[in-house]
Amino acid sequence: MKLITDNITWMTFAFHNSLRNHRRSLVTVAIAALGTAGILLAGGFAYSTYEGLSQAAARTTGHLIVATPAHFNVEEDVPLQYGMDNAPALQQQLFSDPAVRYVLPRVDFSGLISNGDKSTIMLAIGIDPEAEFAVKGPFLTVKEGQILQANSTEAEIMLGDGLAKSLKAKAGSDLTLMVSTVDGALNALDVKVKGVVATGIPDIDKRLVYTDIKTAQKILNTQRVSSLGVFLDSMQATDAAQQRIGHLLPTMKVETWLDEAFFYKSVRELYNRIFGALGLIISIIVVFVVTNAMAMAIIERTREIGSLRAMGTLPSELIRSFTFEGMFLGAAGAVTGAIIAISISVLLMIFPVEMPPPPGRSTGYPLLITIDAAMYVVTLLGMIALSMLSSGMIARKTLQQPIVDALAHN
Amino acid sequence: MSQAAIIALHDVHKSYRLGEHLVQALRGVDLQVQRGELLALTGPSGSGKSTILNLCGLIDRADAGDVLVNGVNTKSLTEKQLTIQRRDTIGFIFQSFNLVPVMTVAENVDYPLFLNGVPLAERKERVAAQLKAVGLHEHAQHLPDALSGGQRQRVAIARALIKRPTIVIADEPTASLDSHTADQVLDPMRERGHAEGAAFIIASHDERLTRRTDRIVSLLDGRMQ
Repeated sequence: MKLITDNITWMTFAFHNSLRNHRRSLVTVAIAALGTAGILLAGGFAYSTYEGLSQAAARTTGHLIVATPAHFNVEEDVPLQYGMDNAPALQQQLFSDPAVRYVLPRVDFSGLISNGDKSTIMLAIGIDPEAEFAVKGPFLTVKEGQILQANSTEAEIMLGDGLAKSLKAKAGSDLTLMVSTVDGALNALDVKVKGVVATGIPDIDKRLVYTDIKTAQKILNTQRVSSLGVFLDSMQATDAAQQRIGHLLPTMKVETWLDEAFFYKSVRELYNRIFGALGLIISIIVVFVVTNAMAMAIIERTREIGSLRAMGTLPSELIRSFTFEGMFLGAAGAVTGAIIAISISVLLMIFPVEMPPPPGRSTGYPLLITIDAAMYVVTLLGMIALSMLSSGMIARKTLQQPIVDALAHN
Repeated sequence: MSQAAIIALHDVHKSYRLGEHLVQALRGVDLQVQRGELLALTGPSGSGKSTILNLCGLIDRADAGDVLVNGVNTKSLTEKQLTIQRRDTIGFIFQSFNLVPVMTVAENVDYPLFLNGVPLAERKERVAAQLKAVGLHEHAQHLPDALSGGQRQRVAIARALIKRPTIVIADEPTASLDSHTADQVLDPMRERGHAEGAAFIIASHDERLTRRTDRIVSLLDGRMQ
């Protein structure tokens, strides 16, 4: 109890001291606020980017990818060499897991696509059209024509817009696919362009071909699929579902979207470094500003400090007082910064700002700043701790001056 | 050495470095101060008055010789022990008051009791009584800046005496006060000193003050006359 009342007294003293020089305190608080807001906005932007990229990655591959172990580890000599024979049965088994919402078979293959005059490389995916496009949501834009239909009698494809442009193809155009079958023989199939889509990544859209599973299996001369993309009810269910499905299908290997999300991991690593460095720089600036403010405060109060020490105040008690003073300045700055960051984040939700396409992308994206409670708590506590630490350190250093010299200070 | 002496200085030497020069502030001073005694230290600037105050107030250490407070040789005490000793037994009155400007009059007077861990209820009572004794109870919630010089010095005296110290160190306590105001601060010092048995060691050039003390010690060039 006494400790609490003592600390309240020291805090009251520190609070009054922090209001002594209004202008200096205001500048210190303002810089701490800007620093906090900068960290929170940059961090919120990074979080928002991570969230968007992780969603995109998960919707591309599925939260989980189920395939034979060799599919992930060994290069195939012929298409679908390590594919799955019993996909429909596995699908049924996967649906027994409570977190599973969709199970999408995929047939990955490559070859040439031709308009008769020009042939070019394609990277094709055989899909279950309706379910695939349902889960892709906003991460696939139909630029022209329509999406594939599962019950179509014709062999149909959808082209990436870059590839369509290269082949001068549009919805309704007739093209020819040429691939190696699973036996190593060359096969060709005439197809009709159903639609043109864009993933937002030009390098992919220059090679992308979607077709339905049946067409893909027909041209490859197989009943196999490459993998099953498993879509769960939430991202958070991924790890637990991976464990469960791993036990459910012991002969298969189950990878998560993260294992395949090379772009996501690269961006995250890059952003973590950039924003980590930014945070470090801002923290150093805040430490310098608070240290400078406290150093000036201590110099101005040298004689007073000498008097307090002469009266029997222990250096540790004065350090505590100055640390509390730093805490008030840091807390005021941190809270103000958090309010600024929240205000800007909310304003960006109400009045969206469109960002230009990032390198390697053809579409822009809305500038969104995530308000993450944990990040706010950590940043605010960090800012307050830094202010306390810098105040305490400068006080500790300055209090080494002899009392007699402090009392003689003018 | 008398056993009754609350402070005893034996052959104390102290020097300071002032730029390139070494200044001999005290050259073998022997001094004893009894409990309840009002001792005035006089002498020209640089004679060593403040140095004796600093040593008796345990805010500085002698280069040579012994400084005994309540019979304890302070030479062997650590900085923390000296601080606790000051906190428990020594009150300070500074020439320029040295009140804490962000504390009210009551908070300034309360500060030594707070440091000594006196319970809050008792502190409030003692602060009120102390302020009444120096005639400032109506100014308890004022900040020092709102007070006159004499009032501030009375607050400083109240602050120095509230913990009932056995030693009070006063450095030119009336230097910045006019004669009427000086009387206002001297009387409570003298009354409280004699009433509570505190030894007052006062450095002063002010004859109004020195003629009202029990003993005057004159210093010149770091030696007692």
